[in-house]
Amino acid sequence: MGITRYIVRRLMFSVALVLGVSVIIFTLINAIGNPVEILLADRPGITQEAIDAISRYYNLDQPPLIRYFVWLWNVVRGDFGTSIVYNQPVGDMLFTWGLETMKIQIPAILISLVAAIFIAVTAATRQYSRVDFGVMSGALLGQSLPGFFVGIILILVFSYWLGIFPSYGAYSTRRMLMGSGLIDGLWHMVLPVAMLAFFNTATLTLLMRSNMVDVLRHDFIMAARASGLPERRVVYRHAVRNAFIPVLTYLGILFGLMLGTAPVTETVFTWPGLGFLYIQAIQQLDYPVIMGETMIITVMLVTATLLTDIAYVLIDPRIRLE
Amino acid sequence: MTEAPAAAALATAPPARPPGMWRQGWQRFRRNRTGMLGLTLVCIVVLVALSCAWIAPYEPNDQSAMMRFGSREGPTWAHLFGTDRMGYDVLTRVLYGAPTALAVGIGAMLVASVIGILIGGISGYLGGMADELLMRFTEFFLVIPVFIVILAVVRLFGIVVVGSPLESIPYLNLMTIILLLGLFGWPSIARMTRAEFLRLKEMEFVEAARCIGATRRDIILRHILPNALPSLVVIVALGIGGAILAEAMISFLGFGDPKAISWGQLLFFNYEALKVAPWASIAPGSAIFMTVLGFNLLADGLSDAFNPRLKQ
Repeated sequence: MGITRYIVRRLMFSVALVLGVSVIIFTLINAIGNPVEILLADRPGITQEAIDAISRYYNLDQPPLIRYFVWLWNVVRGDFGTSIVYNQPVGDMLFTWGLETMKIQIPAILISLVAAIFIAVTAATRQYSRVDFGVMSGALLGQSLPGFFVGIILILVFSYWLGIFPSYGAYSTRRMLMGSGLIDGLWHMVLPVAMLAFFNTATLTLLMRSNMVDVLRHDFIMAARASGLPERRVVYRHAVRNAFIPVLTYLGILFGLMLGTAPVTETVFTWPGLGFLYIQAIQQLDYPVIMGETMIITVMLVTATLLTDIAYVLIDPRIRLE
Repeated sequence: MTEAPAAAALATAPPARPPGMWRQGWQRFRRNRTGMLGLTLVCIVVLVALSCAWIAPYEPNDQSAMMRFGSREGPTWAHLFGTDRMGYDVLTRVLYGAPTALAVGIGAMLVASVIGILIGGISGYLGGMADELLMRFTEFFLVIPVFIVILAVVRLFGIVVVGSPLESIPYLNLMTIILLLGLFGWPSIARMTRAEFLRLKEMEFVEAARCIGATRRDIILRHILPNALPSLVVIVALGIGGAILAEAMISFLGFGDPKAISWGQLLFFNYEALKVAPWASIAPGSAIFMTVLGFNLLADGLSDAFNPRLKQ
């Protein structure tokens, strides 16, 4: 099977998956009845006519099946509807809040990649030494530490006790830290990024170390050593490259995990990103935002998995397509 | 939970027979220090869960500390972990969180195991078209953003049940969370079951069973499934820790069961007072960490014990 056919097949599966998730969420939202009625249930003086008018405005008087396809058609054209709570286009909201989420997640994954490779190489080249044992136990502990608890500890130590970093938000509202918008933004990013990077580094280090240990036993490493290459070159040029391939596929999973638990991360740091928006939306039953968000997050997740899978196939000629 | 079959096998195995799979596994496991540490942590949590009504210094809903010590009082001899913003004794609440955590972990994994073993077993044993279809279905559940979907379902389901007879079920919200974690947690079990069934159904002893005319049910239930269990036990142990963590995160976001005492719930209530009463957040957080670590290490040790060739 050619690579093109493989990609097309995976793409088709991805589209089916995204549609499936949107159907699940749409069905659930409809199961609770008319959201307008629920939101206005406790308000005195709201007449039935007013409820009907608002429902009509949001197309809620149509049967669910038609509404779903109308919604889908609009999404295809790039229109995610209007938020009930914010009265803003959901597409624009997802973009602005999504950028904030990416602002902490992408640096976190890059930092943890570099850190994990360095730590894992140090440990794997000294297998069974004290350093190796320390790295292994640290990574195992780190993997079991709940991310949000790490965040809470970070805030407690670095914001409340030492007073170095701010404990919430992405920007200062009144006076910018150190008088510059850029530094202010970066300063706010430190703790959330540290929390995400902590967990990722632990996971990636464990994976990278076991791959390295495995690769270093291969004959081609011995051949490289026998040909008189310096050890640094053997390790970083020949071994790391091969040990990195499984880590690459794991990046997709890790990214999905980070995106999926963004509500927790962003609640800990009151970070104005997709996760925070999502929590607000499901508390306030802002259903266009709920639909748009689940859709966008699923699409991002599926894309990440797809990209890593394709990269895997392209990089490693031993992988057979099935 | 997962220890029960192992313990039973140990107790009933006559000494003359060569050590069975479970006994060999236990002998290897006993020498694994991290695995034993995990087992110890898990045992502590189980003991606390069973005895929390007797060892807890106060009643879980006792707010009388408000009268003498006040809320958010730092750790003292009377209140070892301090009191929280409602005047509850933090230590008592943390101890009472253990049964909830175990109920979530074990309950969710029971649901997940039933679905996962059924789907994985059918898929692996039958193969062909059924396998293809079921695996696509499994993949669907593997890729969707489970946590996001569960949050929405918990919230929306909470509205749907208002006024329905379902409302009278005790701890309905917690039950929903357990059920959802199970309903979305089975794919890894299904994959492992399938892989084990694919491997085992070609083995000679299964061939032999087929030759002497064993029924299909006997082959699956008495020959294939018992041999697939060691790998499944590892996944289930990991899953219990994962489910406990997931419930903690759901409760931390405020979607937990307000009637149940869970560690995530405690964090949700006390996180906003982190600056004035850090002990009220650190104690439940550490409890989650210890429990999840226990199950992770246990799974690690079990995996080394049952698959010694994989160990590096």
